[in-house]
Amino acid sequence: MNGNQHKILRLAGYAVFCILILIVPLFTDNAYLLNKFARYIVFGILSLALSLSWGYAGILNLGQAVSFGLGSYCMAMALKLRTIPIQTGAAGLPDFMVWNNVDKLPWFWEPFHSYTFAIFAGVAVPVIVGYLTGWFVFRARVNGVYVAIITLAMLVVINLLIIDQQKYTGGFNGITDLTTFNLFGIDFDAYSSALYYLAAISLSVFLFLGLTLISSKTGLILQAIRDDETRVWYFGYDVAAYQTFIFCVSAAIAGYAGMLYTLVMEFASPTFLAVPISLSIIIWCAVGGRASLVGAALGAIVVTGVQGSLSETPAFLDTWMLIMGVLFIVVVLFLPNGLVSIVDVIMAKRRRRVASKTAIATQVTPRLRDSVIR
Amino acid sequence: MENGTLLKLENIIVEFGGFRAVDGLNLDIAKGELRCLIGPNGAGKTTALDVICGKVKPKDGLITFKGNDITDLADYQIARRGVGRKFQVPSFFRELSVRENLEVAHCKRLGVFANVTRFRRSAESDGLEKLAELVGLVDFLEVTAGYLSHGQTQSLEIALLLAQNSELILMDEPTAGMTAQETVHTAKILNALRGRHTLVVVEHDMAFVREISDLITVMHQGKMLAEGRAAEIQGDPRVRAAYLGSGGISHA
Repeated sequence: MNGNQHKILRLAGYAVFCILILIVPLFTDNAYLLNKFARYIVFGILSLALSLSWGYAGILNLGQAVSFGLGSYCMAMALKLRTIPIQTGAAGLPDFMVWNNVDKLPWFWEPFHSYTFAIFAGVAVPVIVGYLTGWFVFRARVNGVYVAIITLAMLVVINLLIIDQQKYTGGFNGITDLTTFNLFGIDFDAYSSALYYLAAISLSVFLFLGLTLISSKTGLILQAIRDDETRVWYFGYDVAAYQTFIFCVSAAIAGYAGMLYTLVMEFASPTFLAVPISLSIIIWCAVGGRASLVGAALGAIVVTGVQGSLSETPAFLDTWMLIMGVLFIVVVLFLPNGLVSIVDVIMAKRRRRVASKTAIATQVTPRLRDSVIR
Repeated sequence: MENGTLLKLENIIVEFGGFRAVDGLNLDIAKGELRCLIGPNGAGKTTALDVICGKVKPKDGLITFKGNDITDLADYQIARRGVGRKFQVPSFFRELSVRENLEVAHCKRLGVFANVTRFRRSAESDGLEKLAELVGLVDFLEVTAGYLSHGQTQSLEIALLLAQNSELILMDEPTAGMTAQETVHTAKILNALRGRHTLVVVEHDMAFVREISDLITVMHQGKMLAEGRAAEIQGDPRVRAAYLGSGGISHA
């Protein structure tokens, strides 16, 4: 009854959101705008990925950008190898390798001649890294703020590694001058509506897949782990396996988002797996509502959207960061559960007006209010 | 109680740093028994429960459950074998509803992938509703657990143990913070459980202990001091000596 109503409302909300993002190209054919919106959508996917691990399982992953960046590099490597006029070396080597006196394509670049492998790797590499991290961290029953510290350290290490290995990764410059991704005869040009649709459809699919996952018993147990990890161990669940699982799912989605990001930006760069972007994801999630997939995605789109339009408006050129800061504070103060909790607040108000039979049921759920880091 | 031994602790020693919390404890719990563990503060009662459920590993000694050595198993593996635990501090899932709490506790398949494809089934919920009725939470099934009163959360924790349906149930102060009425009701529930489940209860409330227990084990300084029925225990001069300073056993 009540629970079902809530479920239907939620499904409707998700559907409306998906339709809205899918019809955007009907209203604009401005290539620059489409590219910008596609970027926001990709951030939405990335934010959704964090919401799964942070919002639903309580794992604050400050290294989410590792998965994002690795996905991005996998895609860039495949595109780079297909960029015909840019290859300056004799053996068809990418330009930056020639500049770094590499005379043979490194073995781990070889399989990226295949798109299938590259796309597979874009998801699999983040999952493997996530699995190894998860295995060590969660088997050792590390939790709370320590997970955040370890994942942040991982991020910094991998970032430095990529910058340092200039011969193989392009170093600071990243991998640039990429060909256009082409699949099934469709050109996914960075400024095309095809790429926008790809991003929007991907986000929609992930939203509903994610919703299915969190509605399953596994999703319920993950939420129980978020609330009280120790208690779940004593019900006989292998908590570490559950945590590692959601960590990997989150990494896979973030890796996928990274691949899309390469297509949108037309390059891969070590800034994609640097600390600022990793922290931004946390902010998007927190602003939108981390315990809601659509909330997290919305948060990313709203924050990056507002950020983009403010920073491009001459009037706010000097003050846009200040304005963003004020917005964050307002949201955290008045909507501690994120923008999506507006719905809960309105519903609760209405319910209170309709009937005040049970004092308990009418209160707004103080989800996740008590502590920021879990 | 002729069904034989379910749980056996032999010469258990637990040390924290240099401090011996449990010092050569021996304990035999028969199948279907309801055993109360009492003793002054610091006697090692909670640590004894911790050792059984795998939260704390003993420095020495042997724990056998249903004839199998469980000393070196991890906590969740011990739980899988049929040991449920209620902690002294309330521990349940505050942001989930009472029903969801029970659903987490009641799970036969524990693997990640087994549960990815599982969604709520009504047949399972029926049993949980009966359970909620038993502990007086049937009207609160959809309420977020964080909103329950303290007494209700204690009831919820008992319901969680029942949903888990463990053969051996370890309880650390199940009535702490309950009203007199709730305590009476809890005593009834525990009495009803005896026989089907085996229970080890740490408790301070002697009236409650008298109400529920067959045998009482008194611990003192990490060792078993005495074992017997309520009347015998209260007449035991050693027990009186152990509690000296805290006004005698009846007010402990």
